[in-house]
Amino acid sequence: MTATSVDARTVPAGKPRGHVTNRRAGVGRLAFLLLSPSVLVLGLVIGYPIVSALRISFVKTTEGIDANTGLITRTTGFSLDNYTNIFTGETGRLFWNAFWNTTTFTVTTVVIETVVGVCMALIMNRAFRGRGLVRASILVPWAIPTAISGLLWRWIFTSQGIANDVLNTHVLWTTEGIQSWLAVVIADTWKTAPFIGLLVLAGLQIIPAEVYEAAKIDGADAWRTFWRITLPLVQPALVVAVLFRMLDVLRMFDLPFVLIGRGKMSTDTLSILAYNEMSNLRFGPAAAYATVLFVYVAIVAYVFVRVLGADIVGRGVGRSK
Amino acid sequence: MTSITDTAPVPATRTAAGAPREKRRSPSGLVLTLLAWVVGVLFVLPVLWMALTSLHSEPAAATNPPSIAAPPTLQGYRDFFGAGAGTTPWPSLANSLTASVTSTILVLLLSIPAAYALSIKPVRKWTDVLFFFLSTKMLPVVAGLLPIYLFAQSVGLLDNIWLLVLFYTSMNLPIAVWMMRSFLAEVPVEMLEAASMDGAGLTRTLQSVVAPVVMPGIAATSLICFIFSWNELLFARVLTGTVAQTAPVYLTGFVTSQGLFLAKVCAAAVAVSLPVLIAGFAAQDKLVQGLSLGAVK
Repeated sequence: MTATSVDARTVPAGKPRGHVTNRRAGVGRLAFLLLSPSVLVLGLVIGYPIVSALRISFVKTTEGIDANTGLITRTTGFSLDNYTNIFTGETGRLFWNAFWNTTTFTVTTVVIETVVGVCMALIMNRAFRGRGLVRASILVPWAIPTAISGLLWRWIFTSQGIANDVLNTHVLWTTEGIQSWLAVVIADTWKTAPFIGLLVLAGLQIIPAEVYEAAKIDGADAWRTFWRITLPLVQPALVVAVLFRMLDVLRMFDLPFVLIGRGKMSTDTLSILAYNEMSNLRFGPAAAYATVLFVYVAIVAYVFVRVLGADIVGRGVGRSK
Repeated sequence: MTSITDTAPVPATRTAAGAPREKRRSPSGLVLTLLAWVVGVLFVLPVLWMALTSLHSEPAAATNPPSIAAPPTLQGYRDFFGAGAGTTPWPSLANSLTASVTSTILVLLLSIPAAYALSIKPVRKWTDVLFFFLSTKMLPVVAGLLPIYLFAQSVGLLDNIWLLVLFYTSMNLPIAVWMMRSFLAEVPVEMLEAASMDGAGLTRTLQSVVAPVVMPGIAATSLICFIFSWNELLFARVLTGTVAQTAPVYLTGFVTSQGLFLAKVCAAAVAVSLPVLIAGFAAQDKLVQGLSLGAVK
């Protein structure tokens, strides 16, 4: 809609003279007009709440009784208390615990999911009977709502559930302890390893067969071929998949929430902590937790992009410069 | 004559060369195929089990280990859809459909022009713009929950499905711009230049040059947006009440009240995940392509 009206304006302007420069100016304006609705919507619906949350995190509300009127008064003022409180005392212990959970969840699940995903992709990268069906079936865990997969795994992990039957154990999976942490890792791996597998598969399928044939002629064994050819060539796809997974796991909320429940030392993540504070109407600390989490995620993403050189922008970079 | 004798053997040798190669690979190939099948079954097994249980009667569903041979019945579905507990899931399913479809359409209307600006006609500092879109993926959604709740409360939009439509639109917008940009980058620049030399305007260029190349991309993007909106739970749970609740919210409530009736709960879970499963199955190829976000191309 916008596109057509813009077109009508820019084309006559570009035609008369100075074809190249005018066209470039027109392109700039057009691009601006095309981009602004999206930026505006994001700014309003995502940007405003974030800025507002940031503001709330720096505000401290103290309630007191007015000596003259006897009414309850609320005084608000700028304060760093919400942040300093996070790192000290009992809340500090909760915070570092959640920080530790978030970090260990991220490292463990991303490593396991990458290994499992790459293996799955290697297996599926061959033509075999029923490949389409296998591919569709491993999409199922990713597609169904987390509310349902959480439920499904809670059911599997009940004391009388399948997990204990299969392992012939009597573990109380969803209670406090390392086993509930493990349950979340297992459920998350089930849900997203196929996702990484499919991304890597897409990367594998563009490696030309000649490369493998050349390696075979040179006498490289399967292991060497994998490390020296497959992995380097599939790396761009893999790095982006891992980055997006990391951003998601660092902010993980719903799976531990549905599977284990909140208020558990072994599975509370930073997002759950922020949610807890909020549902207790402690808005300032909640906003502070969220801000700290955002900074943490941003640092991890930055380091990751810098260290591994994740080409998240894709090949378009080379094209426009 | 020569051309006929030349062309005739080629397909013959090709099939001859192709067939033995298949055979040479088959011993280890068979193992790998079996392995792939086992992996596929392993991942889909919990969902299959859920679907199976949803077709059992309550006593059969409660047995442990689960029985496969129990006679199938649709009682679980009848209990879920029929007003067994005094409520029906239809309004929530309709809400979910409204929120997902409308927000997906809005996302497409917003993201395609933006992605076009970012890919075909690169803006100065366009990588900055792209990183702006990516950075919204780093924000903890929990942080936005409170301000949005307070805002919705002040303007009376709580328990209103259009608030969710608005939120889902912006939730999916970054990833849609990201994906659409990589699909649009596939349009050869030469074709665009040729089109503009022939005097084609923007509308014409979009119609006959860009659209054919990016249609699969649009399909993949809309599918992903649909799936993400349909599955969203946290915001739907906080921002909606009885009127505008979505299917996953209804489901969690249903589980709380009917949790002991396994068959009924499984039927509910299957019914709620069916739309996204159908969407996923219908376009798995395009979905894989779209999920890779252009990183592999």
